[in-house]
Amino acid sequence: MIRLDLMRRLSFLAVVSCAAFPVLAQEGEKTDAPKGDAEESKDEKKKDEEERWFAILNGDVYAGTGEVLRGATLLSKNGKIHSIGYDLYVPPDAKTVDAKGYRLYPGLVAISSQGLLGNASGDFEDTIDPFSFRMVLGLGTGITTTGAGSGAVKLKRFSVDGAVLNEKIFSTFSWSANNPRGKGELREKLVVAAKFLREYREWQRKVKEEKDLPEPSKRGVDNNMLGVLQGEQTAKFVANDRDDLLGIARLAQEFGFRPVIEGCQEGWTVADELGRAGVRAIVTPRDRRTKDERQAHDGGASIENAAILHRAGVQVAITPATEGVDLGGLAGRDILHLPIEPGFAVRGGLSERAALESITIVPARLLGVSHRVGSLEVGKDCDVIVTDGDVLHYKTFVQWAVIDGKVVYDKEKELFYAHIRPRPEVAAVKKIDAGETPPVPVEPAEEGEKDEEKDGPEKKDGEKKDGDETPPKKDG
Amino acid sequence: MLRSHSFFIGVLLATPALAGGPIAIRVGRAETVAKGVVLNAVILVEDGKIVLIGEDLPVERGVPILDRPSWTVMPGLVSCYTRIGQDSEGGDDFSPDVKAVDELYPKSRDLRKVVEYGVTTLGIYPAGNGIPGIAAAVRPIGETVEEMVLDDSAYLKIVMRSDSASKKRLRDAFKKADEHDEKVKKAREKFDEKFDKDKDKKGKKEEKKEDKPEPKPEPKPEPKPEEKKVAQGEGQDADPESAQEPKAEAKTDKKADGFVPPAPDDKSRAFVEMRAGKLRALVTLAAASDWLHWLDAIGKEKIGFDVRLVLNQDSDMYYVFDKKTYDLEADGIGDRKIHAVVEPLLTFTPNTRRVRNLPMELARAGAKVCFTPRVDDLPNYKAWLAHVSELVGAGMSRETALRGLTLNPAEMLGVGDRVGSIEKGKDANLVFVDGDPFQPSTRIQAVMLDGRFVFGEVDL
Amino acid sequence: MHAPRSNRTMLTFALLVSGALASSCASKRTADLDPLEPGELGVAIRCGRVLTVDDDDATYGPGLVLVKNGRIAYVGPDRAVPAGYPVEERLDLWASPGMVELHAHVHGPGGDINDMVYPVNADLRASAGFVPGNRAIRLACAGGVTTLFGIPGSGTSIGGFGILFKAKTAGATYDEATIRDPGGMKVAQSYNPERRAGDLGATRAGLSWILEQWNEEARVANREGTSTPMLENLQKVHSRELPVLIHSAGSDGYPAAARMWHVKYGARAVLSHGCFDAHMTAPWLVELGVPLNVGPREIDFSTTRDGKITGTAARYLEAGARNLSLNTDSPVVPQEELFLQGAVAARYGADSHTMLRAVTIAPARVFGLDDRVGSLEVGKDADVVLRTGEPLDPRSRVEVVFIDGLVEYDRRRDGQWF
Repeated sequence: MIRLDLMRRLSFLAVVSCAAFPVLAQEGEKTDAPKGDAEESKDEKKKDEEERWFAILNGDVYAGTGEVLRGATLLSKNGKIHSIGYDLYVPPDAKTVDAKGYRLYPGLVAISSQGLLGNASGDFEDTIDPFSFRMVLGLGTGITTTGAGSGAVKLKRFSVDGAVLNEKIFSTFSWSANNPRGKGELREKLVVAAKFLREYREWQRKVKEEKDLPEPSKRGVDNNMLGVLQGEQTAKFVANDRDDLLGIARLAQEFGFRPVIEGCQEGWTVADELGRAGVRAIVTPRDRRTKDERQAHDGGASIENAAILHRAGVQVAITPATEGVDLGGLAGRDILHLPIEPGFAVRGGLSERAALESITIVPARLLGVSHRVGSLEVGKDCDVIVTDGDVLHYKTFVQWAVIDGKVVYDKEKELFYAHIRPRPEVAAVKKIDAGETPPVPVEPAEEGEKDEEKDGPEKKDGEKKDGDETPPKKDG
Repeated sequence: MLRSHSFFIGVLLATPALAGGPIAIRVGRAETVAKGVVLNAVILVEDGKIVLIGEDLPVERGVPILDRPSWTVMPGLVSCYTRIGQDSEGGDDFSPDVKAVDELYPKSRDLRKVVEYGVTTLGIYPAGNGIPGIAAAVRPIGETVEEMVLDDSAYLKIVMRSDSASKKRLRDAFKKADEHDEKVKKAREKFDEKFDKDKDKKGKKEEKKEDKPEPKPEPKPEPKPEEKKVAQGEGQDADPESAQEPKAEAKTDKKADGFVPPAPDDKSRAFVEMRAGKLRALVTLAAASDWLHWLDAIGKEKIGFDVRLVLNQDSDMYYVFDKKTYDLEADGIGDRKIHAVVEPLLTFTPNTRRVRNLPMELARAGAKVCFTPRVDDLPNYKAWLAHVSELVGAGMSRETALRGLTLNPAEMLGVGDRVGSIEKGKDANLVFVDGDPFQPSTRIQAVMLDGRFVFGEVDL
Repeated sequence: MHAPRSNRTMLTFALLVSGALASSCASKRTADLDPLEPGELGVAIRCGRVLTVDDDDATYGPGLVLVKNGRIAYVGPDRAVPAGYPVEERLDLWASPGMVELHAHVHGPGGDINDMVYPVNADLRASAGFVPGNRAIRLACAGGVTTLFGIPGSGTSIGGFGILFKAKTAGATYDEATIRDPGGMKVAQSYNPERRAGDLGATRAGLSWILEQWNEEARVANREGTSTPMLENLQKVHSRELPVLIHSAGSDGYPAAARMWHVKYGARAVLSHGCFDAHMTAPWLVELGVPLNVGPREIDFSTTRDGKITGTAARYLEAGARNLSLNTDSPVVPQEELFLQGAVAARYGADSHTMLRAVTIAPARVFGLDDRVGSLEVGKDADVVLRTGEPLDPRSRVEVVFIDGLVEYDRRRDGQWF
């Protein structure tokens, strides 16, 4: 990518954000106004170009910190959360969403996913496809940030700016009983790096007096290891076997780092050790694995894994069995059903609060971006989802998804889910769907509703004969 | 209708317009593109140019008249983005110095054939990926390359994809242009230093040398396109930046005596010229995300560019047609009022079977739609009008359709002052059809290129 | 287009009426509130909520279920427990009927489900490979599934006859676990059995022809009153003694299967799967009244190509489908996740209540088991599942499972299997 230096990058962002303000959103409604299309551009021009206000009104705010505020307002300024509470002053030119009867949650964080950024890989800033339909589906699931490569990227639809939050947080290592030599080498690298660090710190101390003291040689020191020991990089392992998990835990305690372990299927058998070592675990509650019957210890997968780990002090992030989008028909186990997976951890004894955290603040922490996302707190990014119920309930849908204080997903404006329990006020209005060309060529419409209906975003079609709202007849 | 090579020449020889005398053509309907429809139109052609066009104009006695009241005439079609008749392969991904004009082969059979399908002007781009080089605006027929070429630097082709390589390529290119600017600046400083020193010396000697006039360089004329090639070939005397600010140069002329700024090297020349506004780019995009990445890649560079949008069945390009519909932070393609080259293809909204007319939407968003055949081969040139008709049937206005085949691509190529519409003073490139050009039953009856009939059974 | 069927219609109608009468008699039995005598096995389960899933969808909270000698003696509002009953005080739990699975392949050790030499195997029985209480069945029990139809795969046109059994766990024997063997026939009519072996049966026409030949033979045998081992069970399908479960999908295959088995042969056909764009034919299928058993695929996006993620169960219900049931096609979806099939179907537009019925009473009814299982009603088998919450919600943990009145799974005793 073009690596503008920091100043150029900041100034470019400033220019872009200034230029971007007079934009007509689809959500310019106030409390009771029908959700539809924008104000005219005249109002936009009057707006102070340096402040972009956005508010979600009247919803029940589940901040992800344990706090719940019912019927509250969330106010955002320039993409950051400005305040959450009651009787807030909302500037008249702010874009708003009326969330009455709905809930607000922090945008979900998928610790890892496939395809939600389009076919992006490598340098996500250059390859992200902010129009990918999979990104739309991800937003429809409530995911606003995802682990990508070794870093974290927002599902920032419609923009290629500011999506990458973090580029390299993980250094992945291998520790497995199947590769004893690899274990030895890893340990060796850690020893060398630790030794170097000790010597370096010693040197730093001594060089103040003995100015000529030569710096210790960095030859043979693995930079990733060094980063891990200095807390700049996170060591990530993929391990499931009890012995491997113990080994990693002991390694971590010996050298003083807090590893992330992905898989961790038998973690419940050594939960205390993992907790002491400060392990962070990425688990899939529905992982099935039979116990190795040759072992006397407990083994195999357990639905109680997440709960047991959590009780032992291990921070648990949850990921589904399939991290990509699976629209083949078997629903319920791919990334589009991310919020259902923690439900299985609750089944296994995890608290509902920890379950919500496992797909919000904990993955945010693991990805090193918890100062920006993962909970609804003043100062953090305004990445919010508005849902029609408890986000962990199997019937709940995301109605709106907001990233950086801008609505980037509206369930009723995308074809995917609009027909399922449509919002009442939307169901009442028939709309031409965007894909249909009118039979007679029409003059180019002025700005506003007409354009959007013919050429604009996909909306649910007028086929309400399908009777999404009429309850089906009861079986006799 | 297929015609053999020899028969074609026979037709060519049959037209008396070789002598250069005026001829008149009277048709039922003329789609001028610039000034709308003229019924019972009479067009007077002389010396390869359109002299006059009007409704029911009287024709001087002695002027041969072609009388076809059932015909419609439209400007010759302009295909601004094609490689028909060319067969070389691309080189490396960064060759902004390569020019399509260098590979032109006047005897190409396909080029001659394409005339029969109504195409009278082409924009031929170099083969290859990345930044393959500079396109040329040409006529399809000529004995020599010089005869064919209208402009040897029509646009610089840039392929943009959502990947790091595309952005890096651009960054490197602009960096090279920066380096050239640095070089010029340093040379300028050095020259000024020396000039000042000399001036001091001269000042002392002035009393002694009053009679000797100061040598002044001849003011450089604006190089003609044909001459540009020669002048810039070796690059020693060319000064791309001087032409930009003639006034500034005039002021500093006294000081800049003899200052010849170093010429940009092959790899940086195109980008230096683009920055100077002397060359435009045509950027190939295949997805909506490519547009945003392109804008991100050029950042604050003020270069002029048009876009070539590759449409496929599930194209998501509509997301970036305008800024407003999806509330983009960046501009949409239509907002920039640039030319957009597309194939005449109806597409689907992705993941559905709902038909969309993207070229129509693009035009409505404000872009200047230019058409290219669906596939760059003869059968698709033959069906070009038919394919565009499908878009008209799906809601695109006739005006947009016609313009997209004629004046818009002509302007995109930078030859809009010469071709693309039926107007007084323009080249007499005309296509004669026996009905509404956008009806499937209509056939091309004759084609006139530079005032000569090059296709059609025409007897004057 | 259809063969004249007035006679068959009359016969069908008569059979249906008598069947309905019989089942309604069973479900309206009077409660037995007598004390538990010595020598009788029973338990009184007191729960915070009892979902009976009966025809009135009666729900009691708190409620009491009396189990006596393997059957339900009483189900209703909480009340004083008659003498002699040990009491399970579980006011923290919800009681609901054990779930019923009509399309399972976990009756055996796995992999042993297709014998693909002949295209039609009407003489084969899946029960030969039945391993009662195998690991998958234990997990199914822990997931609240208590009745299963274990069947051959869909590699052949008629795979054979499946076994209806209960998910009993430790030490269960064939006799203890089996409800009915053969329980019904398994037919596969879309995609999978379209063999490319080079012989007849590589095309649908060929497959159909082979099927029709066999079916005709069975029908002739019925008319003539004869029977051979090869045809014995197939004849019972045609005499409507045994139901037939038909794997079929697509807007081409699903209605074709309905035409053959429900319309032409008048068999007790249950159409299974119905995925891809089969839901486009929902109105016609509903009009026919053929029972639909949806799953494991429950959404369609790529086939209908209208940009919507369509919940197929919801579509069938919108068209008016009655007694819609769901399946897992285990192990395609793990058997213990049958409840999740209900949750997913509800997510994509169906009603939660109807989806609970779709994994309990509906499959029981369409397979002729509703005199015994599918709902908590007096006289039915005491297959009761106790959970910490709503049955379809993944967060609800299964605490205890009773099958025929005996505890087959108790989380506190056995550990949490699922």
